[in-house]
Parts: sequence; structure tokens; C-alpha cells
Amino acid sequence: MLTTIERIVFVVLALTSVGFTIHGIKTIVDSVRKGRSAPEVKNIPASLVKAGIAVLFQRTIFRTRKILSTIHLGLFFGLITYAFVNLVDILEGFIPGFDLVYGGKHPAFPFLNSGIINTFNLIADVMSGALLFSVTVFLVRRFIVKDKQLTYRENILLNPKVKAGGQNKDSLIVGTFVILHVAARLMGQAFRLTDGADAFTPIASFLNGIFGASQTGVHVAWWVSLCWVLYILPYITRSKHTHFTVGPVNLGLAKQNPRGQLDPAVPAGVRATRTSPIPEPGAKFLHDLSWKRILDSYACVQCNRCQEVCPANFYGRPLSPSALEVNKRYLIKEATFGSHPERLLLPLTETVISAEAVWACTTCHACVSICPVGNEPMADIIDIRRRLIIDGAEIDSGVQNALQSLATNGNWMNKGKRLRGRWAKELEFPVKNASEEQVDYLWFVGDTASFDERVVPNTKIVARIFNEAGLDFGIMYQNESNAGNDVRRVGEEGLFEQLVEQNMGAFGKAQFKKIVTTDPHSFNTLKNEYPQFGGKFDVTHYTSVLVKLFDEGKLTVKNKLSNYQVTFHDPCYLGRYNGEFTAPRKLLEMVGVKFNEMPRNCETSFCCGAGGGQIWNGKVAPGERPAENRIKEALTTFDKNPSDKKLLFIVTCPKDMIMYSDAVKTTGKEGKIEVRDLIQLIAEAVGLEMPLEAEAVASAA
Amino acid sequence: MNIVVAIKHIPSIADDLPVKGNNVDFDSVDFVLNEFDEQSIEQAVLVKEATGGTVTVVGVDMIGELDGVLHLALAKGADKAVKITGDDPAADSHQQAKWLAEAIKGMSPNIVFAGVQASNDLDGQIGPMIAAHLDMPYIGGVSSVEVAGDTATVNKEFAGGFGAKYAVSLPMVVGVQASTKPPRYAPISKVRQVAQTATIEKVAPSGESSARLTMKKMAPPVVTGHAEMFTGSSKEVAAKIVDLLKSKGLA
Repeated sequence: MLTTIERIVFVVLALTSVGFTIHGIKTIVDSVRKGRSAPEVKNIPASLVKAGIAVLFQRTIFRTRKILSTIHLGLFFGLITYAFVNLVDILEGFIPGFDLVYGGKHPAFPFLNSGIINTFNLIADVMSGALLFSVTVFLVRRFIVKDKQLTYRENILLNPKVKAGGQNKDSLIVGTFVILHVAARLMGQAFRLTDGADAFTPIASFLNGIFGASQTGVHVAWWVSLCWVLYILPYITRSKHTHFTVGPVNLGLAKQNPRGQLDPAVPAGVRATRTSPIPEPGAKFLHDLSWKRILDSYACVQCNRCQEVCPANFYGRPLSPSALEVNKRYLIKEATFGSHPERLLLPLTETVISAEAVWACTTCHACVSICPVGNEPMADIIDIRRRLIIDGAEIDSGVQNALQSLATNGNWMNKGKRLRGRWAKELEFPVKNASEEQVDYLWFVGDTASFDERVVPNTKIVARIFNEAGLDFGIMYQNESNAGNDVRRVGEEGLFEQLVEQNMGAFGKAQFKKIVTTDPHSFNTLKNEYPQFGGKFDVTHYTSVLVKLFDEGKLTVKNKLSNYQVTFHDPCYLGRYNGEFTAPRKLLEMVGVKFNEMPRNCETSFCCGAGGGQIWNGKVAPGERPAENRIKEALTTFDKNPSDKKLLFIVTCPKDMIMYSDAVKTTGKEGKIEVRDLIQLIAEAVGLEMPLEAEAVASAA
Repeated sequence: MNIVVAIKHIPSIADDLPVKGNNVDFDSVDFVLNEFDEQSIEQAVLVKEATGGTVTVVGVDMIGELDGVLHLALAKGADKAVKITGDDPAADSHQQAKWLAEAIKGMSPNIVFAGVQASNDLDGQIGPMIAAHLDMPYIGGVSSVEVAGDTATVNKEFAGGFGAKYAVSLPMVVGVQASTKPPRYAPISKVRQVAQTATIEKVAPSGESSARLTMKKMAPPVVTGHAEMFTGSSKEVAAKIVDLLKSKGLA
């Protein structure tokens, strides 16, 4: 089809385009390789295939926004189709007489019968329509409807180029490309239809009906269509649309260790130097991040699903996980394609995320869990915290007090070690000291459940239930220290290690078969992180132990609690982190309450706002707190299922008990809804007899 | 400039304080750094950062566990650590002041910091007595210190929210109420690294205090009844308060 001159021009243009594209790819690869090491990705081919399948079925985007995700299908399958369409178009240009319309055959391709060609034509034609439709919807969403999901709040740190609309420019360029490219290709097909409509290209045939056939038209359309491709290929490597290719790869290289196990603070290969006698943990500058965190920024297309589920963002704090990713990419872009390499030498807290945002993260994992391309913005934040702590940055006074108390007392409440087991001594029966005598279950109680007077009544009920069921259990009294889950997530790795050593010492002296915890945070780190320090234990949460006790008939429901209507809040560190969704719900079913699920449940449960050290904060930010919003969510859920039963908000985490009891008060919902630990329902259902004083305290709590 | 910080290791009140005979049961209590000394260490490091010099932290080792505290001070920016091997948990502030002054004398200090008081005796005497032993001026209740040449400008706090600025010529002893900035956090990795590499100088106690206190009796405070909480509307509560005041003959 093409003349010789046309061919030469095209080949020159194509080589130029490929050259710029390779340069773009090389820049990305170089930037990623400059990152520090990450935990080894095992069996890469298999994980890439697995990720490829997930991408092919577009599974990960359907975690939320079902309608927009459906429209994304048009873009995804449309662009895949067009990769083939473009190849065929080039063949049409370069092989004389090769023309696909009317199921055309060509001697050079004997295996392409008209059945195959017609099928291809139909797919290409229909997908052209799908592409035009979906890209139009997305452009309308961004530029006309101005969907808030695609914007960042004023207080969030943004690269100046992003603030000036860099992403909108990207979207406009690529959106225009898709529309003009697809339109040109469709017109080209229409101009080829010299004998009228082709049943297998309905859209092109329709256009042919209007514009007719034209040999000049074929040439013009071919050039417009393919020149766009030559322009867009290198452009993609310099825009957020690296997402097209890096997204699936990143998903394939995503974290393989348990969600609840943080990557090491000091990556393998980083050593002490004369200037820093302590090997530098975490990240101050961009290339202190692991290569995976840098790759994340190229996978991200700023769909902002993460921002939407972020409790800190909801609370009005200046945190957006997606802004963090786009800022990283722009920082590299400015250093490589732009003229600001010096900005790479600025701390990340000035270039990608404000220090205030760094300290606002609750480490709830919602952003990581929702991300369709396997990004871990939370890991960046924890790495930045780690370096801030070691560099002696100013930290919130409440957090500092908690850390200091943890260092001296092993708990964050400034209580003496010897007071840790005091609650147990106030019970009607002795609680074994696991440090002195053998037990089946070593109960790791945790700070809040041991010391906080709002939670201690529930701790005592757990002990009474265990005792009632004849469970052989004990606690470590003053030998237990805080497990360190939140200490580690605040970034104080040294203190975390100290606490692990103290607990490992205590475990070493104790005799037990399993560990049971009442605190999901302790549960998480004992289960997922202690093994890295040699502590390989069988760790369970008390809800699973209770299910077992019921199954074995050691506990029986004597009173059905049909007078209660309840909802259940999945604690982040039990649910999203460790996948335990069923045990609490099974228990609720057993005790016979009316149960309503909140819209955000299980994997998408909404954080109470306490994790990652937030509960220690001295300063309380203004605005509606996540816990308050959650109480409203529960009440709305109950409103949709009206009854005259007593409304209960059920928790299985000591921190939740505090956060939500408080939120009920601050939202003025006292008397409407009551926060209770699941153990209180169990006690009532099994008819546990409690001393009068204890009952009074429990119902007042 | 030689900056010295005199610190005190005192029984922790995070636990219930155990009593044995007529004193604290020192065998079953943890010792911690006096809270005001955290402020004075911070103030000393801030002065060093502003003017240069070395910070030496010195304290009496009451129960043989002072190293941890000294390591913490070094991690926060102190340069030298000295412990006086007193090994007498009952040593009072008079005795400690004498030992500290004897140890500090040889350090030719330009400025000595001490916490304004400690929660175990609350007598606020360590600073003034060190000053007396060293024949230096003392200023207490201080909430910020700036040094320029031979003179220090200090803020001293008075009751009722009043404060005054003093210019004091060096050398002098300062009783720190609060440092200019809140004490910094020392990351544990740093403290542990210091613990592995730092050397702590040991000094034998010298000098007998002429005025040791004699403890006659010590007992935990007697708990007498609980507070009564009034409930009801604000009017009802107000009425109850008025009734109570009347019944006590106060209204």
C-alpha cells in the first residue's frame, strides 16, 4: 500500500520512536535499580503468570468501584486488541495487496483463512467502539464531571507539576490519542470498503455509508493512526501511563511475605559506615527506599482507591497514599527528563509526603489491600518514620512518652512492671504463672487489657470464661512486655528489637504449648514477626479459642441473646492483616443475637484510627474521627433493619473498646448504641456467674 | 566550655512504693532517672550545641544500675559519663551533693546543671549544696539558659506565672525546672550502640556530709474514703453542693 518514500519515512520515524521509548524504559530501570534491596521475590515466573491471570480477568480493580471498573474493561481489552491491530496495520502498509476487509486473503499468509480474518475484524471493530466509549466516559469524568475521587485535598503535599495539573495533562494527551488513533483507524477501514458494507466491520461499514471509499483516505488515515502510536510510545514511558505495563509486572513482584510482617528496617547489604555507626534504617531520600517502592510509583495511575479507604485521609489529615506515589514519580521525572536532579537530595518529607502525613498513618493496610497493582505506600511511610526516629526528628510528645515508658517499663502507660498482673490477683481463682508452671495456653494479655481500667473488666471476664471452660492457661505477669507491634510501626525498630528480646527471654523461661492473645496487635507481631527473631509459636486469637471450646462442648450457650441487635467491627490486625473474619461471626451466630453487617466489613473494614501509634498521640487533630464515622455507619446499618432490640457495637480488640466507647460519647449516641467486647456476650450466653462488683463494672464499661 | 550535669538516680513510683523498716525497700524497687534531670541534660546539650564544649554527666551509682541512665544521656548528646560508686541506696541529697561536688571539682566546670528537685525528697537541695561546696553562685527554677562568653542569660520562674531574666557570670550552678525545648527522644538503637562502645569513668566517693538526715518513720499514705460523685441535672447538682456547704457551715 505504501510508496517507497512513505516506507522510508515511516521506518525512520519508527526507529526514532523506538529509540526514545528505549531511552524512557532505561531511565525507569536505572531509577528502580538505584533503590535499596528488597526481600527476595521467590519464583518470579510463576508469580508473574499468576498476576497476568489476575490482570487478564481484571480481578484486582473490581475490589471496589464496580461500574468504573467495568468501563476500565473497555480500555484494557481495547488497548490489547489495538496492539495487534497496529501490527496488522503495519503489515497492510508494507505488504502490497494485503488487505483485511471482506475477509481478505493474502498468499504470504496461507494460514489466515477468512474465518480468522473476519473474527479479527469483528473484534477490532467492536473493541474500537468499546475503546471510544470508555475513554470518553473517563474524559468526561475527569474534565466535565470533575469527579472528586481524582483530586487531592489542599493540605496534601504535591509536586508543583502535579499541582499545576500534570496528571490532567497526561490524561488529556492519552485520551486524545486514543480517540484520534481509533477514529483514524476506523476511518481507514471505512475508506477501504470499495464494495460497500462488510458485515464483520459494522462500525467501519456505517462510516463507509457516510464517507464512501477513498484510496487517499486510506493513506491519510493510516498515517494519522500510526503516527499517533509512534508519538505515544515514548510519551508513555514519561507519564503516569507507565501503569499500562508496570502495573501488571508490579503486581507479579508484589510482597510474598505475610501482610503482617514488615520488611526489615535495614535492608540486606546495608552496613555501618564511619559516618553512621548504626546501619541506616528506613529512608530519608528517594533511593533509600527499596527498588520495589520505586517501581510502585510507575505502577500507580492515581486512581485514588487508596485515598478513598484511608482513615487518615478521611480524618482530614494531609495524607494521601496515591499522592505519595505520584510525587515519587515526578521527583524522578524531574531528575532524569527534567532539570532538577538536585531535588533527589532533598528529604522525602519535603518532596513526596509531609512529616505530618507520615505521622498520621494508622498502618491499617487498607491502602495496600485495595491497590489493584500491588503497591505498598504504607511501607514507604514506615520506612520514612524509621529514619526520622533514628535521626532524632521531633516526634509527638505523647508518642515520645509512650516510647520512653516502653523502654523503661515495657508498657506504654508508665506503669510499673509488677502491676501488670494485678488484675489477675483480684479474681476469685488463681491464674497460673506461666513463667513458673506448665500451661497449655500462654495468654499474652497486652498493655491495654492489662492496665486500662476501661478494658480490665473484660480481661477478667476472658479469664473467668477460660476458667469456666477448664482451659489450662496462664499469664507471664511481670515478665510480659509489650509485644512491639505498634512500636515497630511507629518506626522505633531498636525499641521493637529490645521488646522482642525481653519477650523471647520470658517465653524461654515459660512452659506452654500455644499462645493465645486478646489483642490483635500483639497477635499480629507474635504470629508474623517473632518468627524472624526465632520465636516460632502457635499463636491464636481468643475468638478462635472460644470457637474451639464451644465445638468441644466445654462451653455451651444457655441463654440465647435474642434481645440484642449487633454489628461487628473487624479489627485491622485480626481481619485484614490475618484473615480471621469467621471466628467472631461464628460466635455471634452461636449466642443468637440479630446480626447486621456494616457496608465496610471484613477485608474493607474501616480502621478505628488507633493503630500505628496513633492512640499515643498527645495532640488530637480537629475533624470527624474515623471511630466516630464508624459509629454512624453502625447506626445507619441498624436504621435500615429497624427493631426494638438493644443495639450493640461488638469489638474484639482492647483498643477498639477504648476508641469506640469514646466515639459513642463524642457523637452523643449514648443510650442509642453500646460498645461491648464479644466476651461480654459470651459471658451472658453461657450464664457465667460473676461477683456482683464485677458485673456492675462490666455493664458500666 | 566544660558543661557538667549532676544527676540523681531515684526509686521509681510507677509501681507501688514498697516500705521496709523506716525507709523504702530498695531491694524491690526499680530506680529511674529523676524527671527534672532529663530536663537538665537536655538543657546542657542545647547549650553545647549553641556554644560548643563538652557535656559531662555525673551521678551517684545508688544500686549499681546507673550505666543505663548514663548511656541514655550519651545517646542524647552528652560526651562523657562519670559514675560515683556510692553504692548506698539510702544516701540522702546532702551526702550525694558532697560526693558530686568532690567529683565535679576536678572537672573545672564553667556551668553545672542539676534538676531543680527530685521526687524522692523534694527538698531541692542538690543544686544549692553543690554550689556551696564549689563556691559558685546558684540559680534555680530555671526554664532556659543561653551562654555568651562569660555570661549566661537565664529565665527563672516564680510562683503565679511570673518569670525574670537574669544575667549571671560563669562559673555557676543552675537548677533546671524545664529545658528550653522538651527533652529529645533517644532511639534505642543509638542507646544500645553507645552501650557497646562507650566507657564510663568510675570515681570513688569522697567526702563525708556533715548533715545527714535521719529517717524516723516511713509509711504509705492512708487511704481515707472515696470521693462522692453528685449525679443529676446541673440544677440538682448545684443544690446538692449548696446543701453540702451549708452542712459544713461554709454557706
